[in-house]
Amino acid sequence: MDYLDRYREIVPDYDAFQAIQCLPLYNSARINTLKIKRENLLERLEEGGVLFQSFPWYPLGLKLDIESPGKLLENLLGYIHIQEELSMVPPLVLDPQPGESVLDLCASPGSKTTEISQMMENRGLVIANEPSLARVSPLRSNCERLGAINVAITRYDGRNFPRGLFDRVLVDAPCSSEGRERRGPGVLSRCSTERSLDLQVLQIGLLKNALRLTKPGGVVVYSTCTYAPEENELVVQEALGEAEEFRLEKVCIPGLLECPGITEWNGKRLNDDLSCTARYYPHINDTGGFYVAKIIKN
Amino acid sequence: MSPRSSRIRNIFEPLDKSLIAKLWQDRFGIPEQAFSGCKFFRKARSIWVISDVDLPRLSYETIGMRIMSCKDRPWKPTTSALQVFGRYAAKNLIHLNREEAMIFLEGSSQGIESDCEPGYVVVFYRGDVLGCGLYSHGKLISQIPKERRMASTVESETCPD
Repeated sequence: MDYLDRYREIVPDYDAFQAIQCLPLYNSARINTLKIKRENLLERLEEGGVLFQSFPWYPLGLKLDIESPGKLLENLLGYIHIQEELSMVPPLVLDPQPGESVLDLCASPGSKTTEISQMMENRGLVIANEPSLARVSPLRSNCERLGAINVAITRYDGRNFPRGLFDRVLVDAPCSSEGRERRGPGVLSRCSTERSLDLQVLQIGLLKNALRLTKPGGVVVYSTCTYAPEENELVVQEALGEAEEFRLEKVCIPGLLECPGITEWNGKRLNDDLSCTARYYPHINDTGGFYVAKIIKN
Repeated sequence: MSPRSSRIRNIFEPLDKSLIAKLWQDRFGIPEQAFSGCKFFRKARSIWVISDVDLPRLSYETIGMRIMSCKDRPWKPTTSALQVFGRYAAKNLIHLNREEAMIFLEGSSQGIESDCEPGYVVVFYRGDVLGCGLYSHGKLISQIPKERRMASTVESETCPD
């Protein structure tokens, strides 16, 4: 846990941040409106005696007071999808519309892919890219269970995804996952600055290609579930470079408290606009941890 | 496997919608309108359905949802496809009670009285389509894929996301 000390200067109320790492995260799920209406699903849960609470910031997100929500019939039938609360944020920031063409560059296991598909009401096209063959299987299985029929799966290295001109691209990048400690204790013990710097090379490559594949006027969302600035603000700064072609838009989900992206790290000044990006900390909303940046291509 | 080699392996050929719609109409009485806004592809002996869009020129691992297999006769609908399109079925469907539904969801076989024609059927429980069953000689054999069965369910979000 000492590894987190490197964030002492950037995380507000650091002691609470450190303390909450030991508390397990509650179970949560997203209502899949491709298959059921919200009110019908809530009625079913009530009938089944399942205790739940809607997220204050997202009516389709539910906290479930049940040990194995994956075993619910509603999950088997694809009426809900077990998904961590903050994992529902990046698609909302991406804001895909029915009929658009959307690329999810690092898609497996498909929680965000299927959320995008549901926001598009199964219309238009979602390309779900996942290079690893082993990880295509859960991606495909989740898309099929949830009835997402506007999704096509590809298997390119995201840095070399060859072509297309997309309205929106999501880069939910592979990361050191520091923000997942509450779900799987031990994550932090595998983290190091070296690992973050290794991942940074991949993350910059992915984001640069995503920017290339986006239509003028289109949107790119970059997200990770980690705190390391090396994998967050520094990636966004490097990928955007000096180009005036891109601008950062403020990330703000009403009802969910974010901290602004940092503009200084290890004594080095970063681009001021990075304060438009959002850091979500576990002790502030009682969640995991996430970072989200929204980029507009002019 | 690189995308280059999978491009050789994966050949998705477009299929005429009316051809597929007729099969579903004949077996389940599902009207062609149920597939409005969809288009179909064939790869090897499987048929896939996707929303009606122009696909960019890419090497695809899957295109939409696999809805049926033509490997054997008769053709077999997938449970996933029945959960989407099966609610429009007008024939060859079976409604189960709670106890029967649990047996079906565990992937087991059971005796059921029905006037369905022998072959694949849409299985319902309280208005929900549970999936695909095979009905033959008074016996309903569950076709629910292993990973979607009641007993073997695992939480879907096991990978970092």
